[in-house]
Amino acid sequence: MRRKCILLCEVLVLCSLTVGCSSLGVKPWQRELLSRQDMQPDGNGLDDAIDDHMYFSKEASSGGRSFGGGGCGCN
Amino acid sequence: MQLGPDPSSVRRRLIAASCALLSSSAARGEQGSVTDKIGRMVEDWKIQSALAYYREDGRIQAIEPVISAVRDLSDGGRLTLNFTFDSLSGSSPNGALPNHNPQTFASPSARSLAAARHLYTVAPGRLPVDPNYSDARVAGGVDWTLPLSRLTRLSVGGKFSYEDDFYSATANAGVEHDFNDKNTTVSLSVSSENDFLQPIGGAPTPRSDYALFEKGGHETKRGQGLLLGLTQVMTRNWLSEVNLSLDRFSGYLTDPYKLVSVIDGAGDPVGYVYENRPDSRTRRSVYLENRVGWTRASAGLALRYMTDTWGIHSDTAQLRLRWWNAGRDQYFEPSVRWYRQSAADFYRPWIAPNAAQETYLSADSRLAAFHALTYGLKYGIKLTDRLGGFGRGGTEFNVRLEYYQQTIQNGPAAPGALQGLDLYPSLKAVLLQIGFDY
Repeated sequence: MRRKCILLCEVLVLCSLTVGCSSLGVKPWQRELLSRQDMQPDGNGLDDAIDDHMYFSKEASSGGRSFGGGGCGCN
Repeated sequence: MQLGPDPSSVRRRLIAASCALLSSSAARGEQGSVTDKIGRMVEDWKIQSALAYYREDGRIQAIEPVISAVRDLSDGGRLTLNFTFDSLSGSSPNGALPNHNPQTFASPSARSLAAARHLYTVAPGRLPVDPNYSDARVAGGVDWTLPLSRLTRLSVGGKFSYEDDFYSATANAGVEHDFNDKNTTVSLSVSSENDFLQPIGGAPTPRSDYALFEKGGHETKRGQGLLLGLTQVMTRNWLSEVNLSLDRFSGYLTDPYKLVSVIDGAGDPVGYVYENRPDSRTRRSVYLENRVGWTRASAGLALRYMTDTWGIHSDTAQLRLRWWNAGRDQYFEPSVRWYRQSAADFYRPWIAPNAAQETYLSADSRLAAFHALTYGLKYGIKLTDRLGGFGRGGTEFNVRLEYYQQTIQNGPAAPGALQGLDLYPSLKAVLLQIGFDY
């Protein structure tokens, strides 16, 4: 029951974020800063991949930003 | 009378010279064509490469070259290839507790404790580690994103990983859609992973007595994942991302090389058993990331909460800051990451001889309650105008240094003879990474 409540809350949060997002944003000509590499969701490139592999082999949690794991027998 | 050269001989020489000239021109032309082709091929790709050196204090060290190539396709799609090689060596904890007396173990390849060449002895007071740990891993992946419409994209991909004792293959697919003038993106992805384990010396029977060497052949495990994401442009310098993920693994999730000490009331080891983990695990996480940018700086804050059916809860916070110089061709990027996790329900640093009723148990410190801190600093310099005609827009050299420290919470009070020993040693590691982007 508790798990269902948590799942329901997550879905509600995501839906409300989606609806609330309709009033946010910028025009295409206002994206100069957002187009920079260090502002991209995957802008950290190989740093994240190397760090994720290190944390995957040393900690019990992984993933979240993208699919976890790492195809490694180290954990 | 001096005879002139034979006209036919001159003609032959002229023909030969012309042929030589033409053939050398053709060779040069062909060479130029190949060079041009390679140049054009590379020109279409954005390449990132890095060489990472990782070293733990007294344990594992690893060298990891990584390369990634991304190409934007003419139809609006994108192709990403990546390749990784890992070379690991050093000493790996085997799960047993330190003791005041020497402890002798057998390497995983041994069939009994009688084969002396497979044995290693741990000095009193030291954490038991297998000193002969060595492994190499080759991994690669491909991702292809293709537009389905002006606002919708489909991505498919796969990756593989190969080690001496472990093979893994993963397939993933996802769809993402833009809303709100491309300020909002919603994505849904699924993945399926299949792993094949062939532990050195065989896969031990979980929970079996270490001295009996009950080992079988290979084992398998599978995983499925679901990731729901929302990316939102908040303002002209603020990007926000929320991900919900759910994944489930099943099969042989036990670490085939990890032991648990059996300790009597006086604190002396009376034996060891192989660990045993549940054969399924479901994890859920919420991930939130915000990026804010200014003309000469940017900041990224990532937060994650994760929980699983093994009773582990974890919190992660990571902050990255980047400062550019006035010319925007050099930057410094300090970072800090904080992580903590609770212990798995079945984490046991040791068990008592009469603990036969406990089905699942593991002394693996990665399943213990601990917190960890990572401090990092990265320096990057754009080489666009520094390499003559070779440099281009994304050409960059960078170097990164990280320090990682893991502090394990003390477990239950140690009986008699174990008192005074460091049963939960912390882990310290450094990572040095050199990168070149082109």
